[in-house]
Amino acid sequence: MSTALAVKGLTARVGSIEILKGLDLEVPFGELHVIMGPNGSGKSTLCHVLMGKPGYEVTGSAMVGGTEVLGEPVDKRAQLGVAIAFQYPTAIPGVTLRELLEELADQRTDGADLGARVADAADRLSAGPFLDRSVNGGLSGGEKKRSEIFQLAVLQPRIAVLDEIDSGLDVDAVREVAEAVEAMRNPEIGVLLITHYNRILQYLSPNKVHVMIAGQIVRSGGPELADELEDKGYAGLQAELGLATEEEPVDEGDDFLAGL
Amino acid sequence: MKPLHALQDSARDEAPSAWLADRRDQGLELFDELPMPTSDEEVWRYVDLDFSLDDLSLPSEPGAPMSDGDYRIESGARAVILDGYVTSATSDEQVVVKQLKDAAPEQLAAAEESAIAVDLDRFAAAHYGFGDDGLLVVAPKGSSSSRPVFIDVQAVTPDTLSLPRILLLAEDQSELSVVVTFRSPEDDTFHVVPHVQALVGDGARLLLTTVQAWGYGTTAIGQQRAVIGRDGFFHHGEAGIGSRLGRLHFSVELAGPGAHSEISGLYFGEDEQVLDYRAFITHKAPHTTSNMFLKGAVEDEAHSVFTGLIRIEEEAQKVNAYQTNRNLVLGDAAGAESVPNLEILANDVKCGHASTVGPLDEEQRYYLMSRGLDRVRSDRLQVRGFFEEALNRMPHSELNDAIRSAVNEKYVRAQEEGRQ
Repeated sequence: MSTALAVKGLTARVGSIEILKGLDLEVPFGELHVIMGPNGSGKSTLCHVLMGKPGYEVTGSAMVGGTEVLGEPVDKRAQLGVAIAFQYPTAIPGVTLRELLEELADQRTDGADLGARVADAADRLSAGPFLDRSVNGGLSGGEKKRSEIFQLAVLQPRIAVLDEIDSGLDVDAVREVAEAVEAMRNPEIGVLLITHYNRILQYLSPNKVHVMIAGQIVRSGGPELADELEDKGYAGLQAELGLATEEEPVDEGDDFLAGL
Repeated sequence: MKPLHALQDSARDEAPSAWLADRRDQGLELFDELPMPTSDEEVWRYVDLDFSLDDLSLPSEPGAPMSDGDYRIESGARAVILDGYVTSATSDEQVVVKQLKDAAPEQLAAAEESAIAVDLDRFAAAHYGFGDDGLLVVAPKGSSSSRPVFIDVQAVTPDTLSLPRILLLAEDQSELSVVVTFRSPEDDTFHVVPHVQALVGDGARLLLTTVQAWGYGTTAIGQQRAVIGRDGFFHHGEAGIGSRLGRLHFSVELAGPGAHSEISGLYFGEDEQVLDYRAFITHKAPHTTSNMFLKGAVEDEAHSVFTGLIRIEEEAQKVNAYQTNRNLVLGDAAGAESVPNLEILANDVKCGHASTVGPLDEEQRYYLMSRGLDRVRSDRLQVRGFFEEALNRMPHSELNDAIRSAVNEKYVRAQEEGRQ
């Protein structure tokens, strides 16, 4: 059986800045993997490159359920099963989440199923409060994250990538988000959770943890790798692996990339 | 048909009302003296007037009315102005709707306060010089009517100039709600100079929506003026949907302390349309507030212009004034100008403006497409959302469905025809 996500030798650059430097990663169906990495390691870039955001020069391969997605336009990738819960989801003024999903149901041949999933997920994830408000407009940080997870639950992708879905949340909200992520797991979907902190991991049962530094996966292991990281810190691990810390070229937080 | 240049002698004796008689001579005189405006003048910049008023003719009687349009609403009081002639005027229990010639002297005196200047330009002069009687809408002092008055202004006789006139009078402590739609058949040529003036009395409220749904062969040079008294409230919503050249010169004067004006609107230009908005907001009294929020889009070879001037006079302290104008340029050959200006003579005011002109937002498109929506649907949704913010601020929400579809249909049509 094909894997949910198989990334091989993935590179991405913006102008002369190389952000992903030959990244390899596999997430089998039914599994939850976690990528941990410091700021500037290219975590958000990985999300955008998988989703097909314009502005990156990309080489390598990214297969979703056995189908190559690189080179496809953004909407085609979504249809092939890529979905991202964005760290900083864009506000769409004047368009409610319900309208967005209705438009999507109208476009898709399985529109009725999508509608049913909206009703089901809205109930399960208490999405009522933001379903009829403009997409990501005037929502609190926690509501934005819940709105993203709600959309992933509705979209039922083959690979769900959650980008720092835990950042900026209080303890209760982190637990809620983690529960929603666990609820999303099933044998038809691979889940990739990207995080800076291991706080959310105490509520999750990941199959694998990967450490990403300077555009590469430098270490992969079981859940215990997160604890090791907690002890050593990214700098400690970098030193242990013989990676120079000063090489990290740029802080490529989303804000920086948004301007490119 | 009566060409304007042949009309000047007879017009003098035919003033249909006392109010107009006073202005008729002056209008005729100025019509003679003033040249046709050219784009060398700042207020006509960007606009190419490719006709002369002298060559136009007035219809000698109103033509046959059009069938009901998309913007018709349930109303009690109502009126129809056909080719510049008031052909029907119906009052209800609260609001008086009648011809200007039937107005009481005190009503005429009040209307005087909000008159559009006869020397504003040659169009205003022509209006006073050649226009027929007007329509007067009065909310008597202390009256309150939530049902809108519906005024249907039509130009129906092709190749004519019509000069419709509407005077709105919200007397002290009254509440008046008015919807005016402007229409003409799609294919023929019309020239129209509509005048709408409003006086909002002390503590009065006036909600006014104007829908410019002219056919694409119509040149509409609209002139509007509103004067707001102490603690008065004026909410004007404007929808610019039709016309070949649609210009609106509107001025709002916050004359009494505590007066507030809220101007909201949207416009959408396609084909070779020119939409030209000139807003003049003048704060003459302290503690007055004004807010303007206009959103526009242009596609094909359409061009839009917004120039807004907020002027705060020396005695108008503690004023809060803001204007926002946002424009979407949806085609390479389309263009939008947005020129906000502030002129502040007082020293204790809050005043600002925001103005943007640009294409659809790439980040929004990326987000929408990341959910699986194709580009066409993503962009359509974004355009819809863009106008939704303006629609939410319009004073008569019962018109929103019709305005929303008119605007969205233009964009969808362009997408389907491959113009987007």
